Amino acid sequence: MKFLCHNPPEKIQFPMAPLVAVMFLLLMFFMLHLRIVVPEDDFANNLPLSAPQHLLRADVNLQDIKVGLRSDRDGNLTHLMLGSKDLGHDEAAFERLNREILQIIGRSGNPQAKDVEVEIDADFETQHRDVVKAISQCTGRMDGKTKQLARFVEKIKFAPPRKPKV
Amino acid sequence: MKSRKIESSIVAPDMTPVIDVVFQLLMLFMIAINFENTKADERSRLPRDMLAKPPEIRPEHELVLNLGYKRGADGSKMDRTPTVVYNNRDVPISQLGPGLEQERRELELRHGRKVVDDVTVLIRAEADVSAGFVQELVQKCQQYGFKKFLLRATPDVK
Repeated sequence: MKFLCHNPPEKIQFPMAPLVAVMFLLLMFFMLHLRIVVPEDDFANNLPLSAPQHLLRADVNLQDIKVGLRSDRDGNLTHLMLGSKDLGHDEAAFERLNREILQIIGRSGNPQAKDVEVEIDADFETQHRDVVKAISQCTGRMDGKTKQLARFVEKIKFAPPRKPKV
Repeated sequence: MKSRKIESSIVAPDMTPVIDVVFQLLMLFMIAINFENTKADERSRLPRDMLAKPPEIRPEHELVLNLGYKRGADGSKMDRTPTVVYNNRDVPISQLGPGLEQERRELELRHGRKVVDDVTVLIRAEADVSAGFVQELVQKCQQYGFKKFLLRATPDVK
């Protein structure tokens, strides 16, 4: 029997250039697609903005809470109203709104509060940030310790839009 | 004069550390990349709110509408009426109808006629836009059959 005499194994070298080229291409792709953006999340998940105007009127019942946002022509908030009660127009007014809503529903997570609806009635000129703030204060409060949302009201709707001030 | 003959040889640098670093960078960018916000207009300054939170269930079909003012280089408003950025154009709310109709038709062609009931319209309205314009935009969308709406806000961590 004849044995072949093997040569000592040679070091096999893979061509690395194409691999490096592809890696650089991928790197460029991801680098160029990277967008450093401020994180943003959805707000007011249960916001039934969708109801048509005639339904908005029909939905009103005795348990409804009306929150009004009155503003001047420049959109500056002048009165934050809870029903007919004027809560003011500064940051503290929104905190007052939060406390008043809590008083109405009794406690956060109250099962009876599930039927309570808040109607946001904002002037045409009112800034969107104030409307979002009002919705937020009606929706609940973030617990400082647990960082959990203590929910007050789930149903929030908009009143029919008002006409702009001339 | 005696000249020395230099032998030429191919210098093969060690590529391993380069590839290692490139791999690390590649991983970093792959993890950091965010394809979700591609429809978001980075110029929009959304309202900040503590209760803004990531959705528990992502909407299956969504239509993102950016509502904001045209602004100059210094950030000042160029117009008193906000516009919707649609197909890279600033479209007034009153003229958004054909665009919404096109969106609805495309969605219906791809997913069936009843899909419009499941489409969530994501409104990214700037903080200083008048509430009346946001409501006008909602009403415009309602005219074209859209029923679900979500407002976008920037989480306020303070």
